Order: sequence, then structure tokens, then C-alpha cells
Amino acid sequence: MKSECRVSDFFSGPGETPRTVIELEDIWASLAGHTVLEGITFSVEEGVFLGVIGPNGAGKTTLIRVILGLVKPDRGKVLVMGMSPRELHHELHHIGYMPQTVLFDPSFPVSVSDVVMMGRACCIGPLRFASRSDRRAVAESIRAVGLSGLEKRPIGELSGGQQKRAFLARAICLETRILLLDEPTAGLDIESQERFMGLLTRLKEEMGLSVLFVSHDVNVLARFADEILCINRTMHMHGSPQEVLGSERLKEAYRCEFDFLVGEGSGMAGEDA
Amino acid sequence: MLLSYGFGQRALVGGLIIATTCSFISFFVIVRRMAFVGMGISHAAFGGVAIGIVAGVNPVLTAGGFCVLVAGGIGWLSRKGRLHEDTVIGILFAASMAMGVVLVRMANAYNLDLMSYLFGSILALNWTDVIILAVLSALVISFLILFFKELLFFVFDEETATASGVPVRLVYYGLLISMAITIVVSIKLVGIILVSALLVIPGAIGIQLSGNYRGVLVVSLSSGLIGVAAGLFISSWVDVASGATIVLVMFFMFLLALALSPKRGYMQRWRRRSGQASAN
Repeated sequence: MKSECRVSDFFSGPGETPRTVIELEDIWASLAGHTVLEGITFSVEEGVFLGVIGPNGAGKTTLIRVILGLVKPDRGKVLVMGMSPRELHHELHHIGYMPQTVLFDPSFPVSVSDVVMMGRACCIGPLRFASRSDRRAVAESIRAVGLSGLEKRPIGELSGGQQKRAFLARAICLETRILLLDEPTAGLDIESQERFMGLLTRLKEEMGLSVLFVSHDVNVLARFADEILCINRTMHMHGSPQEVLGSERLKEAYRCEFDFLVGEGSGMAGEDA
Repeated sequence: MLLSYGFGQRALVGGLIIATTCSFISFFVIVRRMAFVGMGISHAAFGGVAIGIVAGVNPVLTAGGFCVLVAGGIGWLSRKGRLHEDTVIGILFAASMAMGVVLVRMANAYNLDLMSYLFGSILALNWTDVIILAVLSALVISFLILFFKELLFFVFDEETATASGVPVRLVYYGLLISMAITIVVSIKLVGIILVSALLVIPGAIGIQLSGNYRGVLVVSLSSGLIGVAAGLFISSWVDVASGATIVLVMFFMFLLALALSPKRGYMQRWRRRSGQASAN
């Protein structure tokens, strides 16, 4: 397949220098006439887990939407896998996306495997039906997130944590190279959060994924992210968890004191390393 | 008997074609909560029929064009104009009805022909009508089958569907236009006033009796076909209006589905209680 070759060629081989998979340069974006992102510049290397933090209303979700091409920036350049959002439209099956909330009716008549199969829609293409390989990919993704045995269960009957894992399975059942996750652990209890993050870290390693994880929970990202980007409309910091969480500029971004988080965050990051 | 006459055979064939289309689209109407969209488009058809009557053109053609325009208008105004779908429907539906009333009054056309559009006239179908019904229904059903996975993704989670490259605009407008076409072909069966029932009741019965979309579609289709066939036979037997009879039959089928619904558990509770009573 032409598109597959193009993306396969883009990624580095063994021993080669990792490529830049996401590149944003001086991005300005607005929603309903209000500027929500001002001059955001950063890049994500292949295989990196980038945590994006910032207070509510900082523009984190808009940032993901800009990367996906759902929000057109007023100014600046976006390149994903070396492609502009227009070119990327034909390569979206390499990007797994999990929105902040999926507002669905709990009685919606679909099972877990039906929901995961939705993720294959762009791989299958219009006017075509799911093949045996699509069904196999769905079964593998469900197994990878630990939901085997629940394939036929209606999605509305799953717990919050299980639903999040089902949506993660939907995001990885494509030919996924990049995962964009918007507050995926919001609303989960600590045990479910831990399980989700452990699962995500394992999948990242096994599948060689690049992950952009948006959260306002600094503690979670301090432990799992390779790099942290802190934004609050403008860009405040981009660096390792130790650098960002130990910095005075974090307080500036959140406009509040962070003694607890800075102490714990930097310590934990150091221990994990 | 109904089937001994040519008009009865045509009514049954036409009715079953309409039932198939309505029952299929009814699934999406229910899961995306578009019942009011159906009401809006069907009542707007009155404006289209009035244009046809006043202009001396076949009212089905003008109603068809008008319904597609209204359906597109609902989609465009709610998306681009950032208005809620129900607000747009409330406005367009009332304006179209009002236009219809004014046009009909000006042309002094309150007659039997107009009443047949309001309440249906399935027994007046000729074979050409049946062929037109079949072609339009085939178009709608083909769209629903070919874009089924995209439609399902869109109605479940529009945000992720858009991010995954699903052509949501095509799918959304396609669904609205399919509803408009389905409504126009169904006007002959039950009329403008009752047509929305055909778009809502089969899917509602399906949702009561099944927890998966495959089962919902099978139940929806079966109940639509049974409801239309039974309604036509009963109406010819007791000599009452066929459209209203079909809707009433479907309504009773819905009540039965409510009682039997495993989700509600009325039957299980009743069985348990009667078991306890007999044990005592």
C-alpha cells in the first residue's frame, strides 16, 4: 500500500537516529474568537512519551485537536510524521486518539468488540466490509488491554476503567504509530489509574509507540512521562520531568504554589529513573 | 380479501418496501435521538405538497425536493449556525407548515387530494408508484449498508470518528437526506401526520428486545414488516383508514415489547411473583 510505504519509510530503522514524529512551530489557535494557544513550539521524537500538563482551560485539548487537523491554527506550522494536516488526512490510521470523554448513551447497543472495530473503520476504508484480518486485529487489541472474555459485553455495562481500556484498544487496533490521549485517566480511581498507566507503558514499549498524553494530573505524568511540556495558553516549559517539575515556572503556569507536587514529582521521577 | 384485488396487492408490496426502509433507518433515528428530526421533516413535507398542488406539479416530487432542502437546512444551520438541532427543526417545521397553509388557502385547495397526503392513500398506489418506491428505497438502503460502519461510528462517538478520518459531513448529510427520501416515500402509506411513527416505533421496539445493534436491526425490520402487513389486513377487514391502523398496530407491538423487554424485567418479576404465589 502506498500510504503504508510512505509511513514505514518515515520511521527510523534499528540503530538509526529517531525521527521527529510531531513538530509544531509557533502555533497560534483560537476558538470562537478567543486565542487559546499563543506561539507554541515543540517537537516529539519517535518512541517518546510526552506528558502535556497545564491547568483547566490551558489549551491542552485544542493542542491535540490542532495536531489531528480538527482545529486549523491561525498561524504556525504543524507536521506529523513529516506531513501537513491536509496530507495527514490519508494517514490517520497511524494515529490512535482517545478523547477526554466519550458521551455515549449507556444503552447504546454495541459490544466491546463492536466499539474496537469502529477504530478499524479508516483502515477498512469506505464502501468495504470488515475482513478476517480486521477481526483478528480487534481480538488482539482487546487481549492487549486485558479485556479478553468481555468482547460480547455491551459497552455500557463495563466499569469506567474497563471502558477506558476498551477505548484504548480502539486507539491501538489501527496501524498505530502515534497515540494522542486526552485526559485518559480522568475519573478513574487510583487503582484503575495505576493499571491503565502500567498498560500504556507496556504497549508503548511493545508497539514502539510515540505517546502524547494530556493531563492536569502532574503526579501521574511525573512517574511515567519521558518528557513534560507545560502550557497555559503560552508555552512555559519543555524538558525532563525533573527539570519541569522542579522549576519555578510551573508555579507561574498554574498560578499557584506547588510545593507538594514539586517535591513528590521530582523525587518520584528520580526514583523511577 | 385484500390480496384478491390488484390495488390490495400493490398496497401490500408498496407497504412492505416502505416498512423495510423505515425500519432500517429507524435504528439510526433511535440511537442518535433523531425522532424530532423525523417529525420536522415530515411536517415540512406539507409545505412541499402545497407547492405541488398550487403549481400543478406532482406534489410527491415537490415534497421530495422540499424535504431534502429542509433536511439539508437542518444540518447546515445546526452545524454552521451553531444552533441546536431541535431549535432549527422547531423553526423550519413551523415555517414550512405555515407556508403550506397559506398556499393551500390562497389556491383554495382544501380537497380530497390534500387529505390523502395528510393521512395516506396506500390503496391508490399504481405499479409505477411501486417501482418509484422500490428505486428510492433501494438508494436509501444501499447508502445505509455501504456506509454502515461509518454511520455507526459517527452516531456513537462523532469526535473520534472525525479524528479517525470518517467523512462525518457526508455521513451526517447522507443520513438526513435518506430520512427525507424515506419520509416522502412513506407519505403514501400513512400520510404526513403519522409518518414519523414509522421512523421511530420499529427501532424503539428493537432497542427494547435486543442489546446489540444486529439484534436491534433484525427486530426492527421484523416489527416494521409485521406491523405494516397486519395493519393493512386489519384495515381492509374492518374498513378503517389503513395508515392509522398500521400506526396503532405498531403502537400495540411497542407496548408488548415494553412488557417483554429483558432490560425492564417485567416478565421475570411477574413470573417470580406468580411462582411465589403458587408456592404459598
